[in-house]
Amino acid sequence: MGDASGDLEQVVREEWGRLVALLLAQFRRLDLVEDALGDAVEAASRTWPADGVPANPPAWLMTAARRRVLDKLRTEDVARRKEPLLLLDAEQHQEGVRTMADAGSLVEDDVLRLVLMCAHPALAPEAASALSLRLVLGVPTADIARLFLVPEPTMAARITRAKKRIVGAGIPFAVPDAGVLPERLEIVAQTAYLTFTAGYSPGTGPDLLRADQSGEAIRLVRVVLGLRPDEPALVALLALMLLQHSRRDARVGDGRLVLLADQDRTRWHHDEIAEATRLLARPHLAGPLTPLAASYVLQARIAAEHATAPSAEETRWDRVVGLYDVLLRVAPTPSARLARAVAVAEHHGPVAGLDALEGLEVPQSHRPAAVRAELLSRAGDVDAARAAYDQAIAACRNEVETAFLVAQRDALPAG
Amino acid sequence: MKYLVLLIGDGAEKPWSEQTEEEQGAAMARFGAFGDACDARDGVRILAGEALSGPRDATVMRTTDGRVHLTDGPYAEVIEGMGGFYLLEAPDLDVVVELLRVLPPYDIQIHPTVDVEL
Repeated sequence: MGDASGDLEQVVREEWGRLVALLLAQFRRLDLVEDALGDAVEAASRTWPADGVPANPPAWLMTAARRRVLDKLRTEDVARRKEPLLLLDAEQHQEGVRTMADAGSLVEDDVLRLVLMCAHPALAPEAASALSLRLVLGVPTADIARLFLVPEPTMAARITRAKKRIVGAGIPFAVPDAGVLPERLEIVAQTAYLTFTAGYSPGTGPDLLRADQSGEAIRLVRVVLGLRPDEPALVALLALMLLQHSRRDARVGDGRLVLLADQDRTRWHHDEIAEATRLLARPHLAGPLTPLAASYVLQARIAAEHATAPSAEETRWDRVVGLYDVLLRVAPTPSARLARAVAVAEHHGPVAGLDALEGLEVPQSHRPAAVRAELLSRAGDVDAARAAYDQAIAACRNEVETAFLVAQRDALPAG
Repeated sequence: MKYLVLLIGDGAEKPWSEQTEEEQGAAMARFGAFGDACDARDGVRILAGEALSGPRDATVMRTTDGRVHLTDGPYAEVIEGMGGFYLLEAPDLDVVVELLRVLPPYDIQIHPTVDVEL
């Protein structure tokens, strides 16, 4: 007998979204499908180790889940049956009920419908992100709650509210017209990036880096890219995420933050860097792009400059500054200006960096003060550096980063 | 599904009273185009649609202890700028949003109706 629980975990990981999509297309009951599938997985965890893993594991889960839904529908009182159903598009109504044996393209369309429904612009971004993790990837609610730093009941309520809103507002389980689809796929990309950044650089809490969440965000983009392989925003976003994610093992040492320049580059995941480099070389990223796709491409190219430099000293800061100049024209955000100031300091020295920081504020962020402190320290202005560190420490909400800033401040020469 | 579509504010559109005659003509043409787009779309029907007179003509009716009180003006700020409404029959929210892009760029609230059984 094989490793039944390992097999089950893998099937759930790979097939969850497809099973949810098929069940939704058949029953249109967003409130029942997820629990039914959860029950089916639970039943599998009991029976597979004893009876052996079935020949077609996803079909087994589908049959079990379908039975659960039918049981629920049978015992439901009449009043509940009047509840509005999830809306399908006209094409699906004509196709009628489909099964696992159907042609792959139909099933893939259902997964695309699911992805677009979860990341619908009429949902709040955090709700869309949580719902995508739950319904498309099958991440347990308890894990989503942990990743978003909220108690599990809060996350469960957020997901339930989002599902009710989908049905109540008439958000369809549908692929929109070709004219609107690219715009909607960009919202999917933004949802995935929100999921990713929540893990990559959390504002609060003890974990500096929650690589799990970044890994799930990457998985979400891969699912969508599997359906729409050439969508520029998604290709560029995957490259950007892979490059940032590739440094996960080198960013923290002994619970302390390790800056890019001090990281052990042999601990970077070079296979991921190579994949990102290949993605960035794809020809359709060279053509005219939407502002969002262009900003992902530029951020990824900047990350690639760092990832492919043999050492911190050999970083091509001239190119990095040039890329930031273009990025600021496409997406003039305060965080891009801040990052550009850091690059300018590396290229032209701390005084030029401080000039580039002039007047920059990022609401509720300790980072401008932290960067200013570092550059003042390099420029030899110890008193001003200490004051800037104090300011940054007061604003910082992350324990690991606060410890880092305190250590930097205390290492300043007595002034 | 039925949707009440409230045109609640001028949004990105210049207020009607500040528009030139040509601009007003262009806005009216968009209402015509919206009607045509709805007609041409499967499963979509405009069940009702009217322009509203100014907020000073509105009356709010409240009933307390069986007594009716009338006050002038709209109930709340959100309704202050409401210029019109539609009651639309449409398959889903995506179709409604797609069709409403044909209208001038007002701020719009889209609110599904529910069937109430008596």
